[in-house]
Amino acid sequence: MRQLLTILFVLTALFATAQNGTIRGTVIEDESGFTVIGANVLVKDSDRGTVTDLDGQFSISIAPGTYSIQISYIGFQTLTVSDVEVVAGEVNALGEIRLGDDTKQLQEVVVTGKAIRTTEAALMTIKKKAPAMLDGISSARMQLTGDATAVEAAKRVTGVSIEGGKYVYVRGLGDRYSKTTLNGVDIPGLDPDRNTIQMDIFPTSLIDNLVVSKNFTADMPADFTGGLLNIETKDFPEEKLVSASVSLGYNPQMNLTNDFLTYDGGDTDFLGFDDGSRALPNGAGSANIPTPISGNSSEEVGRFIRSFNPELGARRETSFLDYSASVSLANQLTLDNEKEGKLGYILSLSYRNDYTYYDDVFYGEYQRVTDPADYELIYANDQFGQLGEQSILIGGLAGLAYKTQYSKYRLTAMRLQNGEKRAGQFVIDNNGDAIGQSGFIALSDNLEYNQRSLTNFLLNGTHVLGDKGWEVDWRTAATLSTSDDPDIRKTAFTVSPVDTNFVAGAGGNPSRIWRYLDEVNLVGKVDVTKQYTFRGEDARFKFGGAYTFKERDYEILFYDIQFFGGSTSFDPIPNDVLVNENLFPTGNIYYQSGNNIPNPNQYNSTVSNTGLYVSNEADLFPGLKTIIGVRAENYVQRHTGRDQRFSSGDPGGNNLENETVLDDLDFFPSVNLIYSIQEEQNLRAAYSRTIARPSFKELSFAQILDPVTNRIFNGSLFSLGNWDGNLVATRIDNIDLRWELFMEGGQIFSISGFYKRFDQPIELVRLPQAATSAEFQPRNVGDGQLFGLEFEVRKSLNFISPALTDFSFSGNVTVVESQIDMTDAEFNNRQLFEREGQTIENTRQMAGQAPYVINAGLTYGNRDKGIDAGLFYNVKGETLQIVGTGLYPDVYFQPFHSLNFSFNKKLGAEQNTSLDFGVNNILNDEVESFYQSFEATPQVFNRVNPGVSVSVGISHKF
Amino acid sequence: MNFRLLAMLFVVSALFFTACGEDEDPVTPTPEPVDESTIILRENITSDATWESDKIYVLGSRITVESGATLTIQPGTVIKAEAGTGANATALLVARGGTLIAEGTADAPIIFTSIADEITPEQVAGGDFASPNLDPDINGLWGGVIVLGNATISASNDNDEDLSEVQIEGIPSTDTNGLYGGNDDGDNSGVISHISIRHGGANIGAGNEINGLTLGGVGSATTINNVEVVANQDDGIEWFGGTVDVNNVVVWNAGDDAIDTDQSWGGTLDNFFVVTPIGSCFELDGPEGSYVARQTIKNGTVVAGIFELNEDDELELVTGATGLLIDTDENTPLDMSNVHFVGPFVDGQDVTDDELQNTTFTDITFDIDPANLVDLMEKGEVPAGISAGGAPVADKSGLGWTWASIRGGLDGL
Repeated sequence: MRQLLTILFVLTALFATAQNGTIRGTVIEDESGFTVIGANVLVKDSDRGTVTDLDGQFSISIAPGTYSIQISYIGFQTLTVSDVEVVAGEVNALGEIRLGDDTKQLQEVVVTGKAIRTTEAALMTIKKKAPAMLDGISSARMQLTGDATAVEAAKRVTGVSIEGGKYVYVRGLGDRYSKTTLNGVDIPGLDPDRNTIQMDIFPTSLIDNLVVSKNFTADMPADFTGGLLNIETKDFPEEKLVSASVSLGYNPQMNLTNDFLTYDGGDTDFLGFDDGSRALPNGAGSANIPTPISGNSSEEVGRFIRSFNPELGARRETSFLDYSASVSLANQLTLDNEKEGKLGYILSLSYRNDYTYYDDVFYGEYQRVTDPADYELIYANDQFGQLGEQSILIGGLAGLAYKTQYSKYRLTAMRLQNGEKRAGQFVIDNNGDAIGQSGFIALSDNLEYNQRSLTNFLLNGTHVLGDKGWEVDWRTAATLSTSDDPDIRKTAFTVSPVDTNFVAGAGGNPSRIWRYLDEVNLVGKVDVTKQYTFRGEDARFKFGGAYTFKERDYEILFYDIQFFGGSTSFDPIPNDVLVNENLFPTGNIYYQSGNNIPNPNQYNSTVSNTGLYVSNEADLFPGLKTIIGVRAENYVQRHTGRDQRFSSGDPGGNNLENETVLDDLDFFPSVNLIYSIQEEQNLRAAYSRTIARPSFKELSFAQILDPVTNRIFNGSLFSLGNWDGNLVATRIDNIDLRWELFMEGGQIFSISGFYKRFDQPIELVRLPQAATSAEFQPRNVGDGQLFGLEFEVRKSLNFISPALTDFSFSGNVTVVESQIDMTDAEFNNRQLFEREGQTIENTRQMAGQAPYVINAGLTYGNRDKGIDAGLFYNVKGETLQIVGTGLYPDVYFQPFHSLNFSFNKKLGAEQNTSLDFGVNNILNDEVESFYQSFEATPQVFNRVNPGVSVSVGISHKF
Repeated sequence: MNFRLLAMLFVVSALFFTACGEDEDPVTPTPEPVDESTIILRENITSDATWESDKIYVLGSRITVESGATLTIQPGTVIKAEAGTGANATALLVARGGTLIAEGTADAPIIFTSIADEITPEQVAGGDFASPNLDPDINGLWGGVIVLGNATISASNDNDEDLSEVQIEGIPSTDTNGLYGGNDDGDNSGVISHISIRHGGANIGAGNEINGLTLGGVGSATTINNVEVVANQDDGIEWFGGTVDVNNVVVWNAGDDAIDTDQSWGGTLDNFFVVTPIGSCFELDGPEGSYVARQTIKNGTVVAGIFELNEDDELELVTGATGLLIDTDENTPLDMSNVHFVGPFVDGQDVTDDELQNTTFTDITFDIDPANLVDLMEKGEVPAGISAGGAPVADKSGLGWTWASIRGGLDGL
């Protein structure tokens, strides 16, 4: 690396002294959107000229002046770009230059050097010509909408909705059916409970574009059904780019408030990681930790107890404004060697600090009553209070590329670091009249820290074999992700008129939890494309393979405070609990371990997935492009883990030692038909087979208590009741239809319809026999299917009046009807709580499936004035969030009407300085989920009020 | 350059691999004592077994007497449990169809306690039943004793066979030995007599503790009498449905409720002492399903708290109930008679404010000035059958073997 850097600096120095300027551009085929390799580029009235490389790019070094550039290629009309200015030591980047078919126009086309660039339109061309139906968002639009992270940007994409502020749902299908890749390769997830990736960790400043493919072609991984979202990180610019930006955000409820809740934590919290203040105390992981009854001396026990961080309480302090800053440095240099190699580099860094404070959080748990004539729900447990969260997100990207005319190599390294510090104060009201509840009032302080990181290395090579039409793309990537929750502390005082103390059977004893997740992914991938001619039209034959290895380690450790004799009464001040006089041997508090050794809350899983595919794209009939392919994947999952019974020493328990829990060989066919009705209209039809596989922990005997929700997860391998313990992957048949109309300047109108059939979908089933605790097990449930319609429009308003030329409207609507057959267990359970006058069906909508998603935006863009502004609206329909079981009704996520405004003004002659202003959640809507039961008043499951926030920012290109 | 980068990448990858493979905490096996008189149990009991009075039996995990097996525990046997909380909690579980014959005597009771307790079988044989080293308010050192049967329960759950069965709290559903309930009200889980359960009640998640003695769907042919529960972190005795009768009981220093009933238990509790529970003295719930059975609680003495005068000459609770004196649900089918509550009482030690639709009280007395009796009633009125005055009513003559009695906890009652 150091050597490479040295080379880089030497080269930079060399070129800085050069007298010439540089002209750069990319030549693409207007019709297909493909780059044109080997096009002739000539600077008129000079001896300078070159040919385009494998990316269709060219770079010409020439003395300062104003030139015309002529681009020609056999079979295409010759194009001249006039008024191209060249300044000494600078790059004039022309962007995309589109060559039209020479059959339409014979005379030469002339454009001026300033009118070519358009990023969003480039995405439209990809969309128009891609074999798969796809949608996306470019960095240009992300900048306009002011979205800070990938998750916010992604919801602008047709059919995309966001769950829990972190997860991307495509077409309303749950995260099980969505997949995210980074630069085309698998990356590890960061959530122990989900199959997908937390998208809030990617800062938009590192992203070039997000593209969502909604149907499968053989060159893609087969394990997605709703959509495959690919994040492309920033590539190398055509010109030198040095930019910096800063922004500030203010929300009256969250920023500059004295009420903000936090706790001390560690000294490096501002860097997004813990400095060891939350580390597991020495020896706490051993089988026999020092306790008053462990046989250790009192000194050893006392020392051990005192090695736990004594901070248990949240405190209030004044929060600052949200702020962020980013810098980017990038350049491309032409080497003076015989190959005219080009070297590009990019360095980008970003930092964000966000405060979130909810002054009125509510988590409810409600039950039906036994009397079927009584419709109203009663509360079992209400929890309400305040929650403060400080999130630090740091992102760094470094990339290096080397390119000759027929080969390109790219190495990128990315590191994302995120730390979220949360402190909450709650009142817990437990209702003794509810079934299974003991009834108490408690005051709870919760301290949490979630530390996530993602480190990714990608090495990518692309080679074009001369003019024979062969192209080879290979890439290899290594990614390591971690998501740790070090020292989650919950301290709940049980309060009664008589006394305030800790009662195990009520508010519980103070507890702390450490949770660790590490995952590494290694990917190797080769794609080979051969271009040929079929019946006079361009055709492409593609084949390749991919190998993915994933390994995940997971562990949870629990500790509880115990009292060695007596019941101690306390003032409800959490930080006064772990004080010396209370701690053994002076006092009677000690820590007891909740961990077996080996730990049933620990596992290691690996996956090896080998995929091979062939695919052919050809116009079988005039105007009808067909892409037919098949992919084979051999997926082997192994697991090491055990159940509680084995952990506690009983050899009759279940134990897996790197045992194969899944070994599937599947073939995934895909057929895509694209019929060009007219030049700018496509009719598309597609069929494909895809798969949704069980996650690491689902194929296990794991028994995991979630410290946050108190829910118990049981691996699917346990045979319980009428479940045989044999979990299989879900196979999905997908049918898609789309009509699309492309108009000038990136305008589009499209209508899509889709149908999906799920064979043995997996859902998390609540175990009905677990009456007093919430226990879940993943099971194959009844078959499911869904129908959907999607509309997208992006239209300039100049058709209303020429005065509205600068205004455009963009909107997309997805409507989905889903249905799943209930299992007998679920149906019986629902019938048991049938209310009078209610008829229970044995089908319901799929969990997590939004019935509709709407995105709309009204934008104003005037390049001369340097103004871009937009009003954006996003909502998804009432969605079944948690499937109820008899006593506990279903929970529905309520529509959140998000209305945001953004304004961007570029200043200066070169428009190098940009001012941004934004308002989020203009409607001041609340995020809510409700329990809903027949004829009953809906009751709150979850409610927070994000409030209205404003932000200002400035960025400058040097 | 290309080659060098590739090499670098693979080195980095290799680094990650090795980093992941390392285990921070090496697994250290629990040392097994060589002492022949101590038997460490880690496996379930699947065929008939006898625990002998000259040995110490150590519960190394949750030990289950599985269906079809009978565990006989000789009088005077000492059972000690290893420490743990959460999934790590130890317990003795008698599954449906399993039988426990734990028939101690007043001269040789069977003692369940923690591994930390230095009590020995020799000591018990010598007539000394008190712990030499642990105080009777140290709780949560292990789980407890759980007996499950096939009698009817009133739970809000049906399965395909239209038979009501659920999982007992504290045992994960993946262990089907934790299922209880059925339709055999005359079910027999064995004999439990003269047993003392001490220092248990480890919690295994919020709302999921192990009671001293848990009786889930236990049938009426089961014999349970002369039971003592000392310093259990959760409830003393908790019934979940079933029909079993229980006589001659002492619940001392329970960490939560002393007497707890759920899912319409249909038996009788006769002659009992409840002394200084931290939660409620009685937490009596009704049916959770359509099945309804009546519970009878009679002939008991309750000490809600022990007090001292502070410097301001005010009564201050030293230890005792922070919950209610009697906590019922509106629909609890209960006949409670001849129970005396020893005073004094502090603010908050009250009788439920629920509308009592299915409960009868007869001769329930509180040791309080008649004028202040109404202050104990959250509803602000005194239900029929409750009065001020009275005297301790339970018979302690057969309970001299209990640790509570030995330590003077029943003096004056």
